[in-house]
Amino acid sequence: MTGRVEKIFAEVLRLAPSSINDDTSPDNTPRWDSTSAIDLTLAIEDEFNIKLTTKEIMAMRSVALVKKILSGKGAGDV
Amino acid sequence: MSSAPDTPEQVNTKTAWISAKAAWRRFQAEQESSPEKPDTRIGVAASFTASTLSPFVGAYLVAEGFRPEISVGPYNQLFQVCFDYKSFFGTDCGVICLLWRIEDLMGEELDRFLNRDGAALGQACDKLVALAGAISTLRSTFSGTVIVSIPSVPTGIPADISSLDHAAQLGHFHRTVVARFIEIAANLRDVRLVDFDAAQREVGFQASFDARQWYIYRQPFSDAFLHSAGTKLARIIVAGRRSAKKCVVLDCDNTLWGGFIGEDGLDGIEIGTEFPGSAFRDFQRLLLHWLRQGILLALLSKNNEPDVWEVFDEHSAMLLKRGDISAWQINWQPKAENIALIAKALNIGTNSLVFVDDSPMEISYMQQARPEVTSILLPEDPAEIVSTLQNTVLFDRLDITDEDLGRAEMVRAELDREQLGAKMSKQEFLETLGLKIDLFQAGTNDLGRVTQLINKTNQFNLTTTRKTLDEVRALANSPNHRVYAFRISDKFGEYGLTGVVLVDISADRRTWTLSNLLLSCRVLGRGVEAGLLAALASDAAAEGAVEFIGVFVPTKKNAPASSFLPDFGFKPDGDRWRLPLTDAPKLPSFVERI
Repeated sequence: MTGRVEKIFAEVLRLAPSSINDDTSPDNTPRWDSTSAIDLTLAIEDEFNIKLTTKEIMAMRSVALVKKILSGKGAGDV
Repeated sequence: MSSAPDTPEQVNTKTAWISAKAAWRRFQAEQESSPEKPDTRIGVAASFTASTLSPFVGAYLVAEGFRPEISVGPYNQLFQVCFDYKSFFGTDCGVICLLWRIEDLMGEELDRFLNRDGAALGQACDKLVALAGAISTLRSTFSGTVIVSIPSVPTGIPADISSLDHAAQLGHFHRTVVARFIEIAANLRDVRLVDFDAAQREVGFQASFDARQWYIYRQPFSDAFLHSAGTKLARIIVAGRRSAKKCVVLDCDNTLWGGFIGEDGLDGIEIGTEFPGSAFRDFQRLLLHWLRQGILLALLSKNNEPDVWEVFDEHSAMLLKRGDISAWQINWQPKAENIALIAKALNIGTNSLVFVDDSPMEISYMQQARPEVTSILLPEDPAEIVSTLQNTVLFDRLDITDEDLGRAEMVRAELDREQLGAKMSKQEFLETLGLKIDLFQAGTNDLGRVTQLINKTNQFNLTTTRKTLDEVRALANSPNHRVYAFRISDKFGEYGLTGVVLVDISADRRTWTLSNLLLSCRVLGRGVEAGLLAALASDAAAEGAVEFIGVFVPTKKNAPASSFLPDFGFKPDGDRWRLPLTDAPKLPSFVERI
């Protein structure tokens, strides 16, 4: 099942939703570069209506970590 | 890996910049598999990380039908790019953008200035000269478009625009650097400026800076700022590659004024200083602004033609005058047919016309019949007219040429007068007019026209007392009355017989009562009134009179004349106004009596 986080990653990184999973990270995904990282941050903030701190942004090193941070902020269904 | 299909549900369209980024991603995905080569190659060199600007420039260009390719040069290599652009952007690059921030290029000078080092501002300005030299080198080796940014107010530094000493500190530094840079850039031929300072104002100082992105990625600007700045940059690129629209073709009723002239009459339409008339008036002000940029104005209205011209000629609140209109079709024929006649009359293509109408039916009909015409539906709420049309990029152009400025003049000499009026003070304007006034006692041949004016003039008419030709003739032949008429001319032309004064002379010949005085509205506002009264006073004095008595009878329509008597020194006396001839105005220096 494609969740909200996977949809954002697929959209921003221009990848098939099915290719996004919890292990997706900048290390195995060339399109997850510093420019798209900014876009990801802003898209996530917009989708979940939250504001991320620099610490949280820098900790978002994989889809799983993104979900964990979002859950920690009570962002709801990811 | 296959690209994800971008269905609308996946694209978050909450804000303009999010959809712009999505559009740019979509285009890049298509471009990966497209055989079509980019048609616009853009190189960006910046003193900051500028890669986040690309989507906004790119999305705008894609929406305009271009296939852009944007290369962002390495961080803070502005000077290197200027001296050797080919090694950064190759030889088929068509646009080079040089974007710089005060913080990056002269951060150290700014810091010293804020710490009261008086020499620092001058040293910062010296760096501008060096930057201009580098730009000049680029200009001489690169044949494409060169665009340089005007820097915004520095962010992410200890000084802040909210501090009380901003005006003398950060504000002074920024304003001085910007002003100096614009001065210097004015000497660089063929270099375009993109105003990032204005982009920052559009989105707001606080909203323009993203502290998190700055610390994590050395990217200082928020998406809101980048969207505004990128759009400005893209508009310059488009304007240099596409010819601007040349003429706005305007509906009249509920477009230039509220209501229908044919039904509501001159007094019933809404145009003036009160809403909603004020919104239509502001729209006319915008049209006049465009006119001064060389955009022609045309009328395309389903109306009786004389009714429309009556509004232009007689309604005092109209900012647009008949002479501002270069072509018109005012009749009951289909607008799609008429608009072709307008294009033909102006000798331009229908594809350079912009059609503006309040009727969705007319807009839709035009879009179908003449898709090459840009058709704009006016918003229903008059308050939104100006804000909707003001931001249109249809008339974007890079250089306002002398020819642009003269285009409408060539069509109608009247425009000349409007432009002079706009650029000079009223007095300077009047002095250049060369106004000649010919005040005379109406002869037999003039009485028909005099009677017509007496009965037709509604606005500048002191008493609005109507008279028949026989009554006027009787006055003209009476030794106790005078029927004065006058003609005026100025350097722009002759206006014919455009005013009348009726005088009753007292039995002792010492008092001249101005039983009526009226002027055609098209000659007002150029010092005619003062000249007329001075000339009349001179004639009266020559005949032994010592005093004028004035009469003013207010009507619904004659507000323009309401202050005439007090303006020229008449003092109220019961229901009349008195002016000793010794206090009468002298002939103004800019008026010649012939």
